[in-house]
Amino acid sequence: MKVAFVVQRYGLEINGGAELHCRWVAEHMKKYFEAEVLTTKAFDYITWKNHYPRDEETINGVKVRRFPVTRPRHPERFGRIQNFVFGNEHREEDELRWLDEEGPLAPGLIRYIKEHEADYDYFIFFSYRYYHSYWGIRAVPRKSLLVPTAEKDPVINFGIFKELFLLPRAFIYNSLEERRMIQSASAVEHIPGDVVGMGIDIPEKFSAEAFRRKFSLEGDYIIYIGRIDENKGSHRLFEYFLRYKKETGSTIKLVLTGSTILRIPSHPDLLYLGFLNEEDKFNALNGATLLVMPSFFESLSMVTLEAWALGKPVLANAQCEVLKGQCLRSNGGLYYENYEEFREALALLLATPRLRERLGENGRAYYESNYTWDIVENKYLAILNRLERDKRP
Amino acid sequence: MSEDPKPRTREETPIKIDYNNVDVAAIMDQIKRAIAARPHPMFEEAPPSPLGPEGMVPPAAAGEGPSGFKARMKRILLRVMRPFAPLVKFLVFPVQQELRQTIVALDQTNRRLDYLFVTVEKELAKLSDAMSRRMDAEIPPLREDVVSLRDYAKLLHNLSHNLVVELTKLKIEEETLKNKVRIMEKDFEFLGRRERALEEEVLK
Repeated sequence: MKVAFVVQRYGLEINGGAELHCRWVAEHMKKYFEAEVLTTKAFDYITWKNHYPRDEETINGVKVRRFPVTRPRHPERFGRIQNFVFGNEHREEDELRWLDEEGPLAPGLIRYIKEHEADYDYFIFFSYRYYHSYWGIRAVPRKSLLVPTAEKDPVINFGIFKELFLLPRAFIYNSLEERRMIQSASAVEHIPGDVVGMGIDIPEKFSAEAFRRKFSLEGDYIIYIGRIDENKGSHRLFEYFLRYKKETGSTIKLVLTGSTILRIPSHPDLLYLGFLNEEDKFNALNGATLLVMPSFFESLSMVTLEAWALGKPVLANAQCEVLKGQCLRSNGGLYYENYEEFREALALLLATPRLRERLGENGRAYYESNYTWDIVENKYLAILNRLERDKRP
Repeated sequence: MSEDPKPRTREETPIKIDYNNVDVAAIMDQIKRAIAARPHPMFEEAPPSPLGPEGMVPPAAAGEGPSGFKARMKRILLRVMRPFAPLVKFLVFPVQQELRQTIVALDQTNRRLDYLFVTVEKELAKLSDAMSRRMDAEIPPLREDVVSLRDYAKLLHNLSHNLVVELTKLKIEEETLKNKVRIMEKDFEFLGRRERALEEEVLK
C-alpha cells in the first residue's frame, strides 16, 4: 500500500500544529506501508514564501515531494478579504477568493495529485482550511482521508467547506468536540471516522533538577508551554496570574516557554525562558507543579497530553471546548472560564498536593489508554483496513 | 512542594473531593457554586439589611402598650391566643426566616445585577470613548483622502469629456479632408481627360 500525506508545510524546523502532527504520523506509519509526503516549499506560515529549495528529499526516512508556492500570501489583502467574508453576506466566489488568498497557492501540488492518483492508494490530507486540502480532496475524493484539525472559528461554516466535508472517504478526528463541530457544520454522520489524535513520545530520562540548575530556578512554579500569543490566551493568563498573586500573596512562579509575539509583563515571578529544546521542555514540565493551558483555540493540544503523560495536572481554559472536554473525560485537570474560577481552581490545586497527584494519575491513565503510538497507529490501520474492505465487491 | 497559602480575602468554602474517584465535573460544580454563593466584593461591607432581626419591631412589653379599649382588647386576645403560641411560633418563625433569607438573597442578587449593569455601562462608555477617539483620529485623514479622490475623479471626468470633444472635432475634420481629397481626385480625373482630349486635337 502506498499512502501520501498531504500537508501545507513540512520540515524538521516546524515544531507544532498540524505540520508536526503530520510528520509524526508519517514517520510512525512508514513501517506499515510506503509513506510519502506531498507538500509545498513554504516555511513561513504567514506569507508561504518558498523556502526549501529542493523538489524532493528524504526526512527521517520519509520521501518528501515539494511544490512551489506560485504566489505568496499578501497579509493585508488577505486580512481585508477575511474581514469581508467574516462580516458580510457573501457568495461562494468570495469564499474561493479567500481560500486562494489564504494559500499556500501551489497549483503544481494539485496537478501532481490529479496526474498521479493511480500511483497512490490513499491521500491523507491534514488541515481542512487550506488550499491543498480543498482542491486536493476535490481532485481525488474517492481516495482521500481528512484530518481536519478544526478549531472553533467562523471558517468552518463556509459553504465551500460544507460541501468539502461530504467528499472524503473517511475522517480522522483529533477529539470528540472536533467531530461534533464537523458534524454540526455538515451532514457527515454517514462518513466513517474515528477520534484518533496523535501519539506522544516521552523521553526515557528527564530531570526537574537539571532544569532548575540550568536556569537557576528556585521555588515552585506552574508552566505554560507554547506560542505566546493572544489567540493562545497568553494575555489573559498574565492578567489572571498577576491578579492572583496580588490577591493571595502566593509565592508561586509562572514559567513561560515558546516563541513570543506578545510583550510579556515585567514581573519577578513571570519567567520567560524562550524556546526550549525537547529535553529542556520535558525537564521543565517534570519540575512544574502543573501545566496551565490558556488557549482559546485548540484541536488537540499536544502539550496537554505531554503533561498528562508525565503525570502532571492541567489547568485549562474552559472557553476552548476541546480542552474542557479533555479535562472532563480524563479527570486530569481543572478548568476556568473567568478570573474567579481561575483563582479558585489554582488555589485549590496549589493547596492540595493529593488532588494534584490524583489528577496527574488520571491524566496519565487517559494518555496511556488513548494517546500512545501503538494505539494511534492501530486506529489509523483500522480505518485504512475498513476502506480496503469496502473496496471489495 | 510546600502548600500554597489560600486566598485570604474571601471566606473559604470547603470543596469536597473524593480522592479515590476524583470527578473534575463535580469539583468544578462546587467551585462554581461557591463563587455564585459568595457576595460580590463590593457588597461585602454593605450595611445589614433592614429586613434583618435587628430591624424587626419587638413585641410590646406588658404595661408599655397603648391604653384604653384597644389595649384591653389586645390583652384579652393575647391571653386567648396564649395556648396556641407555640404552634404559631412553630408555623410562623421558620417561614418568616426562610422568607427573610430568600429576600436577602434576592436583595444581594439585585445588588449584584445593579453592579454588573453599572460595570457594563462603564465598559460600554469606555468602548464608546475609544471608538470616538479612534474615529476622530482616523476619519479626518480619510476625509482628506476622500476629498482629494473626489477632485481627482472630477478632473478625470473633465479630461475624458475634453478628450471626447477633441476626438469629435478630429473626426469631423477627417471627414472634411476626405471630402476635399475626393473632390481633388475628381478634378484631377477631369483635368486628365481634358489633357488627353487636347492632345488628340493637337496631334490631328
